[in-house]
Amino acid sequence: MKKIFHHFIAHLMPVLVFFVLCGSVDAQDPDGGYVSRKEYEELKQQMLALKKELESIKKEKTVAAQPAASPVPPAAGPSKQIAEPIPSLEDLALGTTKFHIAGYAESTFEAQNRSISSFEASFNPIFLWELTPKLLFESQIELSLGEGGTDVELEFAQMTYLLNDYITLGVGEFLAPSNVFVERFQALWINKLPDRPLAVYDGILPEKIVGAEIRGGFPLGPLRANYAFYVSNGPKLITDDPSAAGMLDWDNFADNNDDKAVGGRVGLFLPVAGLEAGYGFETAKPGDQGTPFAHVRSWLHSVDLNFTRDCDFLKGRIDLHAQYAWTRVDHAVFDPTGALGFGPLSFSNKRDGGYAQIAYRPTKVDVDFLKNFEAIFRWDHLNHAPGGPGAIDEERWTIGLDYWVGPSTALKLAYEWDNPHGQPNTNAFLAQAVMGF
Amino acid sequence: MSSKLNRRYPALIAPVLFAIAGFCWEALAEPKRSIKPENESSGTADMQLSGEELWTMNCQRCHNIRPPTMYSNAQWDVIVHHMRVRANITGQEQRAIVEFLKSSK
Repeated sequence: MKKIFHHFIAHLMPVLVFFVLCGSVDAQDPDGGYVSRKEYEELKQQMLALKKELESIKKEKTVAAQPAASPVPPAAGPSKQIAEPIPSLEDLALGTTKFHIAGYAESTFEAQNRSISSFEASFNPIFLWELTPKLLFESQIELSLGEGGTDVELEFAQMTYLLNDYITLGVGEFLAPSNVFVERFQALWINKLPDRPLAVYDGILPEKIVGAEIRGGFPLGPLRANYAFYVSNGPKLITDDPSAAGMLDWDNFADNNDDKAVGGRVGLFLPVAGLEAGYGFETAKPGDQGTPFAHVRSWLHSVDLNFTRDCDFLKGRIDLHAQYAWTRVDHAVFDPTGALGFGPLSFSNKRDGGYAQIAYRPTKVDVDFLKNFEAIFRWDHLNHAPGGPGAIDEERWTIGLDYWVGPSTALKLAYEWDNPHGQPNTNAFLAQAVMGF
Repeated sequence: MSSKLNRRYPALIAPVLFAIAGFCWEALAEPKRSIKPENESSGTADMQLSGEELWTMNCQRCHNIRPPTMYSNAQWDVIVHHMRVRANITGQEQRAIVEFLKSSK
Protein backbone atom coordinates (compact mmCIF):
# COMPACT_ATOMS: atom_id res chain seq x y z
CA MET A 1 0.00 0.00 0.00
CA LYS A 2 2.87 2.29 0.94
CA LYS A 3 4.51 1.43 -2.33
CA ILE A 4 1.39 2.43 -4.31
CA PHE A 5 1.21 5.73 -2.43
CA HIS A 6 4.81 6.59 -3.31
CA HIS A 7 4.13 5.75 -6.96
CA PHE A 8 1.10 8.03 -6.97
CA ILE A 9 3.09 10.90 -5.48
CA ALA A 10 5.84 10.40 -8.05
CA HIS A 11 3.37 10.86 -10.91
CA LEU A 12 1.47 13.67 -9.26
CA MET A 13 4.49 15.91 -8.61
CA PRO A 14 5.26 16.74 -12.27
CA VAL A 15 1.63 17.56 -12.87
CA LEU A 16 1.64 19.91 -9.86
CA VAL A 17 4.86 21.53 -10.99
CA PHE A 18 3.36 22.06 -14.48
CA PHE A 19 0.33 23.81 -13.07
CA VAL A 20 2.44 25.92 -10.72
CA LEU A 21 4.67 27.04 -13.61
CA CYS A 22 1.70 27.80 -15.81
CA GLY A 23 0.28 29.95 -13.05
CA SER A 24 3.59 31.75 -12.70
CA VAL A 25 3.78 32.51 -16.46
CA ASP A 26 0.25 33.77 -16.45
CA ALA A 27 1.10 36.07 -13.58
CA GLN A 28 4.10 37.63 -15.53
CA ASP A 29 2.28 38.04 -18.88
CA PRO A 30 -0.70 40.32 -18.60
CA ASP A 31 -1.63 39.72 -22.25
CA GLY A 32 -2.36 36.11 -21.63
CA GLY A 33 0.78 34.73 -23.47
CA TYR A 34 0.10 36.23 -26.89
CA VAL A 35 2.10 38.90 -28.82
CA SER A 36 0.53 41.48 -31.07
CA ARG A 37 1.35 41.72 -34.81
CA LYS A 38 3.27 44.94 -34.18
CA GLU A 39 5.42 43.30 -31.50
CA TYR A 40 6.01 40.34 -33.76
CA GLU A 41 7.24 42.57 -36.60
CA GLU A 42 9.51 44.51 -34.23
CA LEU A 43 11.03 41.31 -32.88
CA LYS A 44 11.49 40.02 -36.41
CA GLN A 45 13.31 43.18 -37.45
CA GLN A 46 15.51 43.02 -34.37
CA MET A 47 16.34 39.39 -35.05
CA LEU A 48 17.25 40.12 -38.69
CA ALA A 49 19.46 43.03 -37.61
CA LEU A 50 21.23 40.83 -35.07
CA LYS A 51 21.68 38.10 -37.64
CA LYS A 52 23.22 40.55 -40.10
CA GLU A 53 25.58 41.94 -37.49
CA LEU A 54 26.63 38.42 -36.48
CA GLU A 55 27.44 37.52 -40.05
CA SER A 56 29.49 40.71 -40.41
CA ILE A 57 31.48 39.90 -37.27
CA LYS A 58 32.09 36.36 -38.45
CA LYS A 59 33.36 37.65 -41.81
CA GLU A 60 35.74 40.17 -40.24
CA LYS A 61 37.00 37.55 -37.85
CA THR A 62 37.77 35.19 -40.72
CA VAL A 63 39.75 37.87 -42.60
CA ALA A 64 41.65 38.84 -39.49
CA ALA A 65 42.53 35.22 -38.78
CA GLN A 66 44.46 34.87 -42.08
CA PRO A 67 48.21 35.50 -41.28
CA ALA A 68 49.27 36.89 -44.70
CA ALA A 69 46.49 39.42 -44.78
CA SER A 70 46.86 40.63 -41.24
CA PRO A 71 50.34 41.68 -40.14
CA VAL A 72 48.91 43.34 -37.00
CA PRO A 73 48.84 41.50 -33.66
CA PRO A 74 45.42 40.12 -32.64
CA ALA A 75 43.21 42.85 -31.20
CA ALA A 76 41.31 42.62 -27.93
CA GLY A 77 38.01 41.81 -29.60
CA PRO A 78 36.33 41.50 -32.97
CA SER A 79 34.58 44.84 -32.63
CA LYS A 80 37.97 46.62 -32.29
CA GLN A 81 39.26 45.01 -35.47
CA ILE A 82 36.25 46.23 -37.37
CA ALA A 83 36.63 49.76 -36.10
CA GLU A 84 40.33 50.18 -37.00
CA PRO A 85 41.66 50.12 -40.61
CA ILE A 86 44.27 47.41 -41.10
CA PRO A 87 47.67 48.93 -42.15
CA SER A 88 49.28 47.48 -45.29
CA LEU A 89 52.20 45.08 -44.97
CA GLU A 90 54.39 47.55 -46.86
CA ASP A 91 53.68 50.35 -44.38
CA LEU A 92 54.56 48.20 -41.42
CA ALA A 93 57.57 46.40 -42.88
CA LEU A 94 59.55 49.32 -44.29
CA GLY A 95 59.58 51.84 -41.52
CA THR A 96 61.07 55.20 -42.41
CA THR A 97 64.00 53.93 -44.50
CA LYS A 98 63.70 52.15 -47.84
CA PHE A 99 65.89 49.38 -49.15
CA HIS A 100 66.04 47.67 -52.51
CA ILE A 101 68.34 45.18 -54.21
CA ALA A 102 68.83 45.65 -57.94
CA GLY A 103 71.57 44.41 -60.27
CA TYR A 104 71.99 41.54 -62.67
CA ALA A 105 73.31 38.02 -63.18
CA GLU A 106 74.84 36.63 -66.35
CA SER A 107 76.40 33.57 -67.88
CA THR A 108 78.57 33.82 -70.99
CA PHE A 109 80.10 31.32 -73.39
CA GLU A 110 83.03 32.44 -75.51
CA ALA A 111 84.83 30.54 -78.24
CA GLN A 112 87.74 32.61 -79.51
CA ASN A 113 90.31 31.78 -82.13
CA ARG A 114 93.67 30.85 -80.53
CA SER A 115 92.05 30.49 -77.10
CA ILE A 116 90.27 27.73 -75.20
CA SER A 117 86.51 28.12 -75.26
CA SER A 118 84.90 28.53 -71.85
CA PHE A 119 81.81 29.37 -69.85
CA GLU A 120 81.79 32.03 -67.18
CA ALA A 121 79.23 33.48 -64.83
CA SER A 122 78.85 36.43 -62.50
CA PHE A 123 76.38 37.90 -60.04
CA ASN A 124 76.28 41.67 -59.61
CA PRO A 125 73.93 42.82 -56.86
CA ILE A 126 73.36 46.54 -56.30
CA PHE A 127 72.27 47.57 -52.82
CA LEU A 128 70.19 50.73 -52.64
CA TRP A 129 69.42 52.14 -49.22
CA GLU A 130 67.41 55.35 -48.99
CA LEU A 131 67.90 56.64 -45.46
CA THR A 132 65.84 59.76 -46.12
CA PRO A 133 64.27 61.14 -49.32
CA LYS A 134 67.50 63.13 -49.78
CA LEU A 135 70.15 60.66 -48.61
CA LEU A 136 70.99 57.50 -50.55
CA PHE A 137 73.67 54.87 -50.17
CA GLU A 138 74.33 52.68 -53.18
CA SER A 139 76.83 49.91 -53.69
CA GLN A 140 77.52 47.21 -56.24
CA ILE A 141 79.53 44.06 -55.68
CA GLU A 142 80.68 41.83 -58.51
CA LEU A 143 80.94 38.15 -57.67
CA SER A 144 82.58 36.19 -60.48
CA LEU A 145 84.37 32.91 -60.98
CA GLY A 146 88.14 33.03 -61.24
CA GLU A 147 90.87 30.43 -61.40
CA GLY A 148 91.21 30.24 -57.64
CA GLY A 149 87.52 30.32 -56.78
CA THR A 150 85.11 33.21 -56.40
CA ASP A 151 86.43 36.70 -57.04
CA VAL A 152 84.79 39.56 -55.16
CA GLU A 153 85.13 43.12 -56.35
CA LEU A 154 83.61 46.33 -55.05
CA GLU A 155 82.31 48.17 -58.10
CA PHE A 156 81.03 51.24 -56.27
CA ALA A 157 80.04 52.31 -52.78
CA GLN A 158 78.78 55.86 -52.61
CA MET A 159 76.71 58.13 -50.39
CA THR A 160 74.79 60.88 -52.17
CA TYR A 161 72.84 63.85 -50.85
CA LEU A 162 70.27 65.76 -52.91
CA LEU A 163 71.12 69.38 -52.11
CA ASN A 164 68.29 70.77 -54.26
CA ASP A 165 66.48 69.98 -57.50
CA TYR A 166 69.62 70.61 -59.56
CA ILE A 167 72.60 69.66 -57.37
CA THR A 168 73.58 66.29 -55.89
CA LEU A 169 76.68 65.73 -53.76
CA GLY A 170 78.41 62.36 -53.53
CA VAL A 171 81.41 60.81 -51.78
CA GLY A 172 82.94 57.36 -51.84
CA GLU A 173 83.82 55.03 -54.67
CA PHE A 174 81.80 55.73 -57.79
CA LEU A 175 81.77 55.03 -61.51
CA ALA A 176 83.84 57.59 -63.41
CA PRO A 177 81.52 60.33 -64.70
CA SER A 178 84.05 61.22 -67.41
CA ASN A 179 83.39 57.84 -69.03
CA VAL A 180 79.74 57.78 -70.05
CA PHE A 181 79.84 54.15 -71.18
CA VAL A 182 80.84 52.96 -67.72
CA GLU A 183 78.26 55.10 -65.96
CA ARG A 184 75.30 54.20 -68.14
CA PHE A 185 75.80 51.24 -70.46
CA GLN A 186 78.30 48.78 -68.96
CA ALA A 187 75.76 46.66 -67.05
CA LEU A 188 75.33 43.57 -69.18
CA TRP A 189 71.53 43.72 -69.16
CA ILE A 190 71.89 47.22 -70.66
CA ASN A 191 74.92 46.61 -72.90
CA LYS A 192 73.39 44.97 -75.97
CA LEU A 193 76.34 42.78 -76.96
CA PRO A 194 77.84 40.05 -74.75
CA ASP A 195 81.14 41.93 -74.37
CA ARG A 196 82.05 45.58 -73.90
CA PRO A 197 83.82 47.87 -76.38
CA LEU A 198 87.56 48.38 -76.53
CA ALA A 199 89.12 51.60 -75.22
CA VAL A 200 86.19 52.70 -73.05
CA TYR A 201 86.14 49.48 -70.98
CA ASP A 202 89.34 47.86 -69.71
CA GLY A 203 91.09 50.39 -71.91
CA ILE A 204 92.31 53.95 -71.74
CA LEU A 205 89.57 55.52 -69.59
CA PRO A 206 88.85 55.32 -65.85
CA GLU A 207 86.02 53.09 -64.67
CA LYS A 208 85.70 53.46 -60.91
CA ILE A 209 87.31 56.13 -58.81
CA VAL A 210 87.51 57.17 -55.17
CA GLY A 211 86.73 60.77 -54.31
CA ALA A 212 83.93 63.31 -54.18
CA GLU A 213 81.58 64.57 -56.85
CA ILE A 214 78.93 67.18 -57.58
CA ARG A 215 76.36 66.45 -60.27
CA GLY A 216 72.89 67.17 -61.55
CA GLY A 217 70.82 68.47 -64.42
CA PHE A 218 69.00 71.67 -65.25
CA PRO A 219 66.84 73.14 -68.01
CA LEU A 220 68.63 75.42 -70.42
CA GLY A 221 65.99 77.19 -72.49
CA PRO A 222 64.49 74.58 -74.78
CA LEU A 223 67.37 72.21 -73.99
CA ARG A 224 68.38 70.30 -70.90
CA ALA A 225 71.94 70.06 -69.64
CA ASN A 226 73.50 67.60 -67.24
CA TYR A 227 76.85 67.72 -65.51
CA ALA A 228 79.15 65.82 -63.15
CA PHE A 229 82.47 67.08 -61.79
CA TYR A 230 84.72 65.21 -59.41
CA VAL A 231 87.97 65.17 -57.48
CA SER A 232 89.61 61.78 -57.03
CA ASN A 233 92.83 59.98 -56.19
CA GLY A 234 93.59 59.78 -59.89
CA PRO A 235 95.57 57.25 -61.93
CA LYS A 236 99.07 55.95 -61.33
CA LEU A 237 101.77 56.17 -64.00
CA ILE A 238 103.38 52.78 -64.60
CA THR A 239 107.15 53.26 -64.79
CA ASP A 240 108.86 49.97 -63.97
CA ASP A 241 106.99 47.38 -66.03
CA PRO A 242 108.71 46.79 -69.41
CA SER A 243 105.42 45.72 -70.99
CA ALA A 244 103.33 48.64 -69.67
CA ALA A 245 105.70 51.58 -69.03
CA GLY A 246 103.93 54.86 -69.70
CA MET A 247 100.44 53.46 -69.28
CA LEU A 248 98.02 54.71 -66.64
CA ASP A 249 96.84 52.34 -63.93
CA TRP A 250 93.28 53.44 -63.19
CA ASP A 251 92.86 51.11 -60.21
CA ASN A 252 94.94 53.41 -58.05
CA PHE A 253 92.71 53.25 -55.00
CA ALA A 254 95.51 53.89 -52.51
CA ASP A 255 96.84 57.17 -53.86
CA ASN A 256 100.52 57.45 -54.82
CA ASN A 257 100.82 61.22 -54.39
CA ASP A 258 99.18 64.33 -52.93
CA ASP A 259 97.95 65.54 -56.29
CA LYS A 260 94.30 64.86 -56.97
CA ALA A 261 92.72 64.24 -60.34
CA VAL A 262 90.00 66.60 -61.52
CA GLY A 263 87.47 65.55 -64.11
CA GLY A 264 83.91 65.52 -65.23
CA ARG A 265 81.44 65.41 -68.04
CA VAL A 266 78.92 67.84 -69.47
CA GLY A 267 76.01 66.53 -71.53
CA LEU A 268 73.45 68.40 -73.56
CA PHE A 269 70.10 67.08 -74.70
CA LEU A 270 69.64 68.58 -78.11
CA PRO A 271 66.31 69.89 -79.47
CA VAL A 272 65.68 66.59 -81.27
CA ALA A 273 64.18 64.28 -78.67
CA GLY A 274 66.37 61.34 -77.74
CA LEU A 275 69.63 62.97 -78.88
CA GLU A 276 72.39 63.78 -76.41
CA ALA A 277 75.98 64.92 -76.95
CA GLY A 278 78.58 64.91 -74.20
CA TYR A 279 82.18 65.81 -73.42
CA GLY A 280 84.22 64.24 -70.63
CA PHE A 281 87.69 65.03 -69.36
CA GLU A 282 90.19 64.34 -66.59
CA THR A 283 93.60 65.70 -65.72
CA ALA A 284 96.01 64.50 -63.06
CA LYS A 285 99.64 64.11 -62.04
CA PRO A 286 99.94 60.32 -62.00
CA GLY A 287 103.62 59.92 -61.08
CA ASP A 288 104.82 58.59 -57.73
CA GLN A 289 105.51 61.32 -55.20
CA GLY A 290 109.20 62.20 -54.81
CA THR A 291 110.27 60.64 -58.11
CA PRO A 292 111.28 62.28 -61.42
CA PHE A 293 107.78 61.42 -62.64
CA ALA A 294 106.02 63.49 -59.97
CA HIS A 295 105.49 66.45 -62.30
CA VAL A 296 104.30 64.48 -65.31
CA ARG A 297 100.72 65.41 -66.16
CA SER A 298 98.12 63.32 -67.92
CA TRP A 299 95.03 64.37 -69.83
CA LEU A 300 92.05 62.55 -71.20
CA HIS A 301 89.25 63.80 -73.39
CA SER A 302 86.15 61.92 -74.42
CA VAL A 303 83.25 62.83 -76.69
CA ASP A 304 80.04 60.88 -76.97
CA LEU A 305 76.80 60.90 -78.90
CA ASN A 306 73.71 59.00 -77.85
CA PHE A 307 70.43 58.71 -79.70
CA THR A 308 67.43 56.53 -78.91
CA ARG A 309 64.14 56.94 -80.68
CA ASP A 310 60.99 55.03 -81.54
CA CYS A 311 60.57 55.48 -85.24
CA ASP A 312 57.26 54.91 -87.06
CA PHE A 313 58.98 54.99 -90.41
CA LEU A 314 61.25 52.07 -89.51
CA LYS A 315 58.56 50.33 -87.43
CA GLY A 316 60.87 50.05 -84.46
CA ARG A 317 63.41 51.60 -82.14
CA ILE A 318 66.79 52.90 -83.23
CA ASP A 319 69.52 53.01 -80.62
CA LEU A 320 72.81 54.67 -81.48
CA HIS A 321 75.77 55.11 -79.14
CA ALA A 322 79.23 56.36 -80.02
CA GLN A 323 82.16 57.41 -77.87
CA TYR A 324 85.74 58.29 -78.72
CA ALA A 325 88.54 59.12 -76.29
CA TRP A 326 92.10 60.40 -76.35
CA THR A 327 94.69 60.23 -73.58
CA ARG A 328 98.02 61.97 -73.41
CA VAL A 329 100.85 61.81 -70.87
CA ASP A 330 103.65 64.39 -70.76
CA HIS A 331 107.05 63.43 -72.10
CA ALA A 332 109.05 61.23 -69.76
CA VAL A 333 112.04 58.88 -69.97
CA PHE A 334 111.40 55.46 -68.49
CA ASP A 335 114.25 53.41 -67.02
CA PRO A 336 116.71 56.26 -67.81
CA THR A 337 119.76 54.35 -66.53
CA GLY A 338 118.84 51.02 -68.07
CA ALA A 339 118.85 49.41 -64.64
CA LEU A 340 115.47 47.79 -65.27
CA GLY A 341 116.62 46.34 -68.55
CA PHE A 342 114.34 48.17 -70.99
CA GLY A 343 115.56 51.77 -71.01
CA PRO A 344 116.17 54.45 -71.62
CA LEU A 345 112.73 54.53 -73.22
CA SER A 346 110.96 57.61 -74.50
CA PHE A 347 108.03 57.84 -76.89
CA SER A 348 105.01 59.94 -77.77
CA ASN A 349 102.66 58.79 -75.03
CA LYS A 350 99.30 59.19 -76.72
CA ARG A 351 96.48 56.66 -77.06
CA ASP A 352 93.06 56.82 -78.54
CA GLY A 353 90.11 54.59 -79.19
CA GLY A 354 86.38 54.29 -79.12
CA TYR A 355 83.33 52.61 -80.53
CA ALA A 356 80.16 53.17 -82.50
CA GLN A 357 77.17 50.92 -82.06
CA ILE A 358 73.78 50.86 -83.69
CA ALA A 359 70.87 48.65 -82.71
CA TYR A 360 67.43 48.16 -84.18
CA ARG A 361 64.45 46.47 -82.55
CA PRO A 362 61.19 46.13 -84.53
CA THR A 363 58.93 47.18 -81.68
CA LYS A 364 56.16 48.41 -83.98
CA VAL A 365 55.70 45.46 -86.30
CA ASP A 366 52.48 43.48 -86.10
CA VAL A 367 54.10 40.13 -85.26
CA ASP A 368 54.61 39.89 -81.50
CA PHE A 369 57.38 37.32 -81.77
CA LEU A 370 59.53 39.62 -83.91
CA LYS A 371 59.18 42.50 -81.47
CA ASN A 372 61.47 40.71 -79.04
CA PHE A 373 64.44 40.51 -81.41
CA GLU A 374 67.11 43.18 -81.61
CA ALA A 375 69.93 43.37 -84.14
CA ILE A 376 73.19 45.07 -83.17
CA PHE A 377 76.23 46.20 -85.10
CA ARG A 378 79.37 47.59 -83.45
CA TRP A 379 82.75 48.86 -84.49
CA ASP A 380 85.41 49.45 -81.87
CA HIS A 381 89.14 49.99 -81.89
CA LEU A 382 92.10 50.95 -79.74
CA ASN A 383 95.38 52.59 -80.76
CA HIS A 384 98.27 52.37 -78.36
CA ALA A 385 101.20 54.76 -78.17
CA PRO A 386 103.34 54.41 -81.30
CA GLY A 387 106.79 53.16 -80.35
CA GLY A 388 105.71 52.41 -76.82
CA PRO A 389 105.60 49.06 -75.05
CA GLY A 390 102.50 47.12 -74.24
CA ALA A 391 99.51 45.84 -76.07
CA ILE A 392 99.14 46.11 -79.82
CA ASP A 393 96.53 48.11 -81.70
CA GLU A 394 93.25 46.32 -82.17
CA GLU A 395 90.12 46.73 -84.25
CA ARG A 396 86.91 44.74 -84.06
CA TRP A 397 83.64 44.47 -85.97
CA THR A 398 80.79 42.73 -84.23
CA ILE A 399 77.29 41.68 -85.21
CA GLY A 400 74.80 40.45 -82.67
CA LEU A 401 71.25 39.30 -82.24
CA ASP A 402 69.35 39.54 -78.95
CA TYR A 403 66.09 37.97 -77.94
CA TRP A 404 64.39 39.86 -75.09
CA VAL A 405 62.54 37.47 -72.81
CA GLY A 406 61.53 40.42 -70.62
CA PRO A 407 62.43 44.10 -70.25
CA SER A 408 65.72 43.21 -68.58
CA THR A 409 66.22 39.56 -69.49
CA ALA A 410 67.90 38.65 -72.75
CA LEU A 411 69.56 35.89 -74.71
CA LYS A 412 72.42 37.26 -76.83
CA LEU A 413 74.41 35.83 -79.70
CA ALA A 414 77.32 37.61 -81.36
CA TYR A 415 80.17 37.05 -83.76
CA GLU A 416 83.24 39.25 -83.56
CA TRP A 417 85.90 39.88 -86.18
CA ASP A 418 88.95 40.80 -84.12
CA ASN A 419 92.10 42.06 -85.82
CA PRO A 420 95.09 42.75 -83.58
CA HIS A 421 97.56 44.70 -85.71
CA GLY A 422 100.17 42.38 -87.27
CA GLN A 423 98.79 39.29 -85.54
CA PRO A 424 96.54 36.39 -86.57
CA ASN A 425 92.91 37.15 -86.00
CA THR A 426 91.21 36.37 -82.71
CA ASN A 427 87.68 36.14 -84.04
CA ALA A 428 85.16 35.00 -81.47
CA PHE A 429 81.68 33.59 -81.07
CA LEU A 430 79.86 34.69 -77.94
CA ALA A 431 76.59 33.65 -76.32
CA GLN A 432 75.16 35.11 -73.18
CA ALA A 433 72.10 34.87 -70.97
CA VAL A 434 71.55 37.87 -68.72
CA MET A 435 68.86 38.83 -66.25
CA GLY A 436 68.50 42.27 -64.69
CA PHE A 437 66.44 42.72 -61.56
CA MET B 1 94.47 44.95 -93.65
CA SER B 2 93.30 47.94 -95.65
CA SER B 3 91.57 45.69 -98.18
CA LYS B 4 89.69 44.04 -95.32
CA LEU B 5 88.64 47.43 -94.07
CA ASN B 6 87.52 48.49 -97.50
CA ARG B 7 85.30 45.44 -97.70
CA ARG B 8 83.73 46.24 -94.34
CA TYR B 9 83.03 49.92 -94.90
CA PRO B 10 79.76 49.14 -96.72
CA ALA B 11 78.75 47.05 -93.72
CA LEU B 12 79.38 50.06 -91.49
CA ILE B 13 77.78 52.57 -93.81
CA ALA B 14 74.55 50.59 -94.29
CA PRO B 15 73.33 50.67 -90.69
CA VAL B 16 74.46 54.27 -90.29
CA LEU B 17 72.40 55.28 -93.33
CA PHE B 18 69.53 53.25 -91.89
CA ALA B 19 69.73 55.23 -88.66
CA ILE B 20 70.10 58.56 -90.40
CA ALA B 21 66.99 57.85 -92.50
CA GLY B 22 64.95 57.15 -89.39
CA PHE B 23 66.47 60.09 -87.57
CA CYS B 24 65.63 62.54 -90.37
CA TRP B 25 62.12 61.16 -90.71
CA GLU B 26 61.43 61.56 -87.02
CA ALA B 27 63.06 64.98 -86.87
CA LEU B 28 60.78 66.22 -89.62
CA ALA B 29 57.80 64.70 -87.82
CA GLU B 30 58.81 66.32 -84.52
CA PRO B 31 56.11 69.07 -84.47
CA LYS B 32 53.46 66.34 -84.17
CA ARG B 33 54.60 65.55 -80.66
CA SER B 34 52.19 66.93 -78.10
CA ILE B 35 53.51 69.42 -75.60
CA LYS B 36 51.19 69.96 -72.68
CA PRO B 37 50.45 73.39 -71.24
CA GLU B 38 52.54 74.32 -68.24
CA ASN B 39 49.65 74.36 -65.78
CA GLU B 40 47.84 71.27 -67.03
CA SER B 41 49.03 68.90 -64.36
CA SER B 42 51.02 68.93 -61.18
CA GLY B 43 52.95 66.02 -62.65
CA THR B 44 54.63 68.14 -65.28
CA ALA B 45 58.26 69.12 -65.08
CA ASP B 46 60.86 70.94 -67.09
CA MET B 47 59.95 71.42 -70.73
CA GLN B 48 56.31 70.75 -69.71
CA LEU B 49 56.61 67.01 -70.27
CA SER B 50 54.32 64.69 -68.37
CA GLY B 51 55.57 62.09 -65.92
CA GLU B 52 54.96 59.38 -68.48
CA GLU B 53 56.92 61.23 -71.17
CA LEU B 54 59.80 61.88 -68.77
CA TRP B 55 59.77 58.24 -67.68
CA THR B 56 59.92 56.99 -71.25
CA MET B 57 62.44 59.55 -72.41
CA ASN B 58 64.90 59.27 -69.54
CA CYS B 59 64.75 55.51 -68.93
CA GLN B 60 64.63 54.33 -72.52
CA ARG B 61 67.69 56.38 -73.36
CA CYS B 62 69.83 53.68 -71.76
CA HIS B 63 67.69 50.56 -71.30
CA ASN B 64 64.30 48.95 -71.83
CA ILE B 65 61.63 50.40 -69.60
CA ARG B 66 60.08 48.22 -66.91
CA PRO B 67 56.33 48.24 -66.29
CA PRO B 68 55.08 50.30 -63.30
CA THR B 69 53.57 47.17 -61.77
CA MET B 70 56.96 45.48 -61.52
CA TYR B 71 57.85 47.18 -58.24
CA SER B 72 56.03 48.46 -55.16
CA ASN B 73 55.63 52.18 -54.49
CA ALA B 74 58.43 52.09 -51.91
CA GLN B 75 60.74 50.30 -54.35
CA TRP B 76 60.02 52.86 -57.06
CA ASP B 77 60.93 55.63 -54.59
CA VAL B 78 64.39 54.10 -54.13
CA ILE B 79 64.92 53.13 -57.76
CA VAL B 80 64.01 56.54 -59.17
CA HIS B 81 66.15 58.20 -56.48
CA HIS B 82 69.08 56.05 -57.63
CA MET B 83 68.37 56.83 -61.28
CA ARG B 84 68.08 60.54 -60.57
CA VAL B 85 71.68 60.47 -59.33
CA ARG B 86 72.91 58.24 -62.16
CA ALA B 87 71.11 59.94 -65.05
CA ASN B 88 71.35 63.52 -63.73
CA ILE B 89 67.64 64.22 -63.96
CA THR B 90 66.21 67.13 -61.96
CA GLY B 91 64.23 66.85 -58.74
CA GLN B 92 61.11 68.06 -60.52
CA GLU B 93 61.46 65.31 -63.10
CA GLN B 94 62.06 62.72 -60.40
CA ARG B 95 58.81 63.65 -58.62
CA ALA B 96 56.82 63.62 -61.87
CA ILE B 97 58.14 60.17 -62.80
CA VAL B 98 57.44 58.71 -59.35
CA GLU B 99 53.95 60.19 -59.36
CA PHE B 100 53.28 58.63 -62.76
CA LEU B 101 54.62 55.22 -61.75
CA LYS B 102 52.53 55.12 -58.57
CA SER B 103 49.37 56.23 -60.30
CA SER B 104 49.75 53.74 -63.15
CA LYS B 105 49.26 50.60 -61.11
